[in-house]
Amino acid sequence: MIVADPKPFLQVKGYLENFGKVLIVGCGTCTTVCLSGGEAEVQILASGLRIAFGKDGRRKAILEDCVQRQCDEEFILPVLSRVESEGIDAVVSLACGVGVNFLADRLGKTPIFPGLDTTFYGAGMQQGLWAEMCAGCGSCIVAHTGGICPVARCSKHLLNGPCGGSEKGRCEVDPANIECVWQLIYDRLKRLGRLDELRNLMPAKDWSTASDGGVRRTTREQLYELK
Amino acid sequence: MSMDKNFPGSLKIPAQDVLPTCSAACPVHTDTREYVQLVSKGDYEGALDILLKVNPFPSVCGRICHHPCESQCRRAAIDEAVSLRMIKRFIVENTREYRRTRRKKPERTSQKSVAVIGSGPSGLTAAMDLALLGYGVKVYEKDTKLGGMLAHAIPRYRLPAEALAEDIEDIVATGVEVHSGCCVGVDKSFEELKKENDAVLIAVGLSESHSLPIPGTGSKGVFLGVTFLWDVANRLYPDLGESTLVIGGGNVAIDIARAAKRLGPTKKVYMACLESREEMPAWKWEIEEAEEEGIEILNSWGPKAILEKEGAVSGVLFRRCSSVFDDKRRFSPTFDDAETNLVEVDSVIIGIGQKANLDFLGGSPVAVSGGRLQCDIESMGTSEIGVFACGEVMTGPGSAIKAVGTGHEAAKVISHYLETGELLKLPDRKVLDIGELPAATADLARRFERVAVNLTEPSERIKDFSPIEPVYTEEEALSESRRCLSCATGAHLNVPNHCAGCLTCVRICPFGVAQVRRTAIMPPQQCQTCGLCAAECPAFAIDVLRFPTGEMKKAMQESVSGLDFERVARPFLIAYCCVNGTTSRKYLKEQTAGEISDSGVLRVLVPCVGRLSMADLLSPFELGADRVAVISCPEDGCYYPRVEDWLTRRIKRTQKYLDQIGVGGEYLRLFKMEGSGDESWPKIVEEFRAVDIKAAVGH
Amino acid sequence: MSEKSVMKSGSNLERVLSSGHFAVTCECGPPKGADVEHLEKKIELVKGCVDAANVTDNQTAVVRMSSIAASSILVKNGVEPVMQMVTRDRNRIAAQSDLFGAYALGIRNMLCLTGDHQSFGNHPKAKNVFDLDSLQLLDVVRNIRDQGVVNSGDPVQGGIKMFLGAAANPFADPFEFRVIRLAKKIEAGADFIQTQCIYDMGRFGEFMKMSCDMGLDQNCFILAGLTPLKSAGMAAYMNKNVSGITIPEDIIKRIRGVPKANQAEEGINLLLEQIQEVREIPGVAGVHIMAIEWEEKIREITERAGLLPRPL
Repeated sequence: MIVADPKPFLQVKGYLENFGKVLIVGCGTCTTVCLSGGEAEVQILASGLRIAFGKDGRRKAILEDCVQRQCDEEFILPVLSRVESEGIDAVVSLACGVGVNFLADRLGKTPIFPGLDTTFYGAGMQQGLWAEMCAGCGSCIVAHTGGICPVARCSKHLLNGPCGGSEKGRCEVDPANIECVWQLIYDRLKRLGRLDELRNLMPAKDWSTASDGGVRRTTREQLYELK
Repeated sequence: MSMDKNFPGSLKIPAQDVLPTCSAACPVHTDTREYVQLVSKGDYEGALDILLKVNPFPSVCGRICHHPCESQCRRAAIDEAVSLRMIKRFIVENTREYRRTRRKKPERTSQKSVAVIGSGPSGLTAAMDLALLGYGVKVYEKDTKLGGMLAHAIPRYRLPAEALAEDIEDIVATGVEVHSGCCVGVDKSFEELKKENDAVLIAVGLSESHSLPIPGTGSKGVFLGVTFLWDVANRLYPDLGESTLVIGGGNVAIDIARAAKRLGPTKKVYMACLESREEMPAWKWEIEEAEEEGIEILNSWGPKAILEKEGAVSGVLFRRCSSVFDDKRRFSPTFDDAETNLVEVDSVIIGIGQKANLDFLGGSPVAVSGGRLQCDIESMGTSEIGVFACGEVMTGPGSAIKAVGTGHEAAKVISHYLETGELLKLPDRKVLDIGELPAATADLARRFERVAVNLTEPSERIKDFSPIEPVYTEEEALSESRRCLSCATGAHLNVPNHCAGCLTCVRICPFGVAQVRRTAIMPPQQCQTCGLCAAECPAFAIDVLRFPTGEMKKAMQESVSGLDFERVARPFLIAYCCVNGTTSRKYLKEQTAGEISDSGVLRVLVPCVGRLSMADLLSPFELGADRVAVISCPEDGCYYPRVEDWLTRRIKRTQKYLDQIGVGGEYLRLFKMEGSGDESWPKIVEEFRAVDIKAAVGH
Repeated sequence: MSEKSVMKSGSNLERVLSSGHFAVTCECGPPKGADVEHLEKKIELVKGCVDAANVTDNQTAVVRMSSIAASSILVKNGVEPVMQMVTRDRNRIAAQSDLFGAYALGIRNMLCLTGDHQSFGNHPKAKNVFDLDSLQLLDVVRNIRDQGVVNSGDPVQGGIKMFLGAAANPFADPFEFRVIRLAKKIEAGADFIQTQCIYDMGRFGEFMKMSCDMGLDQNCFILAGLTPLKSAGMAAYMNKNVSGITIPEDIIKRIRGVPKANQAEEGINLLLEQIQEVREIPGVAGVHIMAIEWEEKIREITERAGLLPRPL
């Protein structure tokens, strides 16, 4: 799942100072699950904006909406037509950056602002805690690391074992909150009886499949052929 | 009285095919859950309406019902059943005036008429139903008082005449024509009744006691149970000598024994029955109360002979009863003649069971066989077309509320017959219930003691026939009503396609009830209605049937929109109050716009403030509130585990957010009641209104 | 795997080690600016006392003069540099380019490091690179040196000679993996190793035994890292805050046991004992003295340790 955090309220409010009619659009998939962009957060942000602008003595129409996913055309069509028919001056998206972009590409002259800061691909560790698990590098190496990804989960993305900052299983960057992924990998490979994997030098990684290789597109060839 | 605005949505629980166990167990399926919830919200009148919808005898049942609802109450899995009968009694005793004003004589819309023989609970229920349907109804009662066994066989310490009178007045007010002191078969023939009416309902009950086929029953000092009770009810106290033995182990035998004790508090009263203590058919609590009063129970003895001396009773000879039932649980006693017991007493009262007196049918075509009226249980018809039966004469011995149930059914079949000329086959009477509360859920629920009442001391209560049980005070009734789990009115996925399966509900449910299988599932038979999941659901996809907060917001909007903000006392405070802290309905009533304006306070009552979402905490500020107070239960008072913790976190987040918004987190505060809400709320609210927050924050 | 007997670069450090002398290196941190004078003062302090001096590469992610430029100044001033290079700030293109430049400026020793995370430095908001890790950097440089090809496989124009080093931390976790990681570094091309500062001599001894058992000392020169403690406060701070360093309680006690004014002296005494101790440990080929902002003590330390004069 894509994880995103709410932007500071005043930042979002600042975007909207000059717009009279604002539509806040939530996303019913990832950001609902990570509790930052679902129906509830749409209401909370809308309510906050109404109260805050009201305190400034300014009346703005703050409208609310939420779609199943902002990253697919069919789901956002109703939002687009609402923006058109209701004369919306600005849109705030509570989707991840994908949703913001996807709407922006289709919103013509209406400005759109992000309500969230998109952070990572993560898993829900427990109620209210998510952790990064994948970096989307495009060429997965975890077959050699016991299924655990050092690209995403090592602060330095090291591929050949832990640096000197690994102490008691924690990462020196934030020992209280970050595990040393290499300790995890070591322990897991030990359990699997495959510690020999760690003796091999993992050569310089091919990053061309990651975003370093340029903006990525992917297809299912039976459905679509790249030019 | 409608309190809809104060408790929006509370009456909108959809009718469900599956009843909570209390309602399912009740022969008339009283909407127990609803009346208890209405009591908890201070709407005693609404609660009475619910009672009267299905039961014309709520005053009687409030006193003497054997309350199968309580026996099936799912709260018993947690601690003890909710004291439903006592709540019912509280309702009827606190709504007398309202009850009189709500009476309405129905219009007679049909020329057809029905004669009802017998004025017990079944006959009167049927009579009232038929009157309400627009038929002419005549009730024939051989006694001078209406009520049947309720009037004559139940001792006054359990059911005072006034309580019965309340119910009967309601029934008579529907325009039923009463012919009391008219014994059918003596004063008026059955044939006459048939001729004068379009249908006849036999509801004569089981008015005579069985005797025993043993020597000595004709001796002086031997009484039949029902006769004895009738005499006592009519203050014709018989001479029982220095000691009495009651034969029988059922509830009637207990009534007899306890009545006998009251005739001579210093005298010895025995009960003897075939059954062992565990097998006794009387209710456990009745047996205990009898023993408290000094009645000695002799279990597992079969009477062999009543011994006499000079024509008067001198004792009873018993033999050991080795077993009462055969292996198929059929009544088939076996005895051991080797073991005998002679109990010397001056009188004997036989309370082993009752039978119907059907003498009035002599010579009529209505079939009677072996002393029993022949009756089809499905159509309630007798062998004679147009003649029906209900109550104990049809079902055999049963409870008052069961008799009421058959009275309703009789009215239904008779009406159908009158309109179509045909018999109606009643559908299967079985209903589905939601089943037991799973132990895993019950283990996680917090325990709250049942509000007990103290019966009059045994030594005092045997002195006369005064009622022995006090009624709940308002505080007690409100407190007990909150113990109701309001089964199956909890959380449900209101907007399934909004559910993202995020697992929030699963992770925060304090009862381990919520699950996600693609989308969230809150099994209604397990949900404890705390509302946490609804408050935390990021998709607002979950709602609580018993208290939809969306409607609360609407109601709040309505209240506020009626205000003239120029006139509202400032600071204007909206207080979310946990309804569970109230001790009277003073603060449960809807406030008028004037009251809100003058006090500068709008109370919003929530059954557990833990279910307020962050949006709920913000919306008062949007509506113009200057300050928002959330008043939760007293320490350890919350019915739900862990709710307080989640609420505290939610409030902290909201306070931080209010800081960012520019309102200031200080303007939202969480308070804990100290003592009752009635004492606490005004104090908290006034103190919070008086705080100079700007100065406080400035420091 | 490198061969100890074959000269890789002909650097002074390599020659000292190869000829079986107990080597001494130290650190010469570049200034937080272009203050050449300051750097030259430091160089003077260590000149003649060490076989080579490490020039750190934006150590602890604090911006300083580039290690290539500073190393070049060392060359000019007659002290042989060990140029450190971290992968945090440069991708494989920059790393290889910088390597060529360094060689062109006369630099012959290079220590390949991943580098401290930027969150510890003065630019925590910076984007890091980590295109390569330290092992991969060793591998890339070794291929340039020995195979004459850059990472892409393209030929290198004109050869380079470089004595390649890497760091090892015997005190970080998981301990059992530390020797394996050392072996991997040697396999990736490390000719010499500098360890993290040693205080727990027992654990270091264990680490060395495991290394020798694997024959690692046969393929690589291992320099024991040592840092003199200036005060009991510094000892406590390092123990608590520097990950991968543990200072045994008895050492802290010992420093704390002397008056404040004498604690630095006690630190030096301790260091001298440590130098003698590591000399006794099989497989240790020299010491790397990290006298943090205390270069003025290098002469005294080496003198008192009997390490002067330096050979060659």
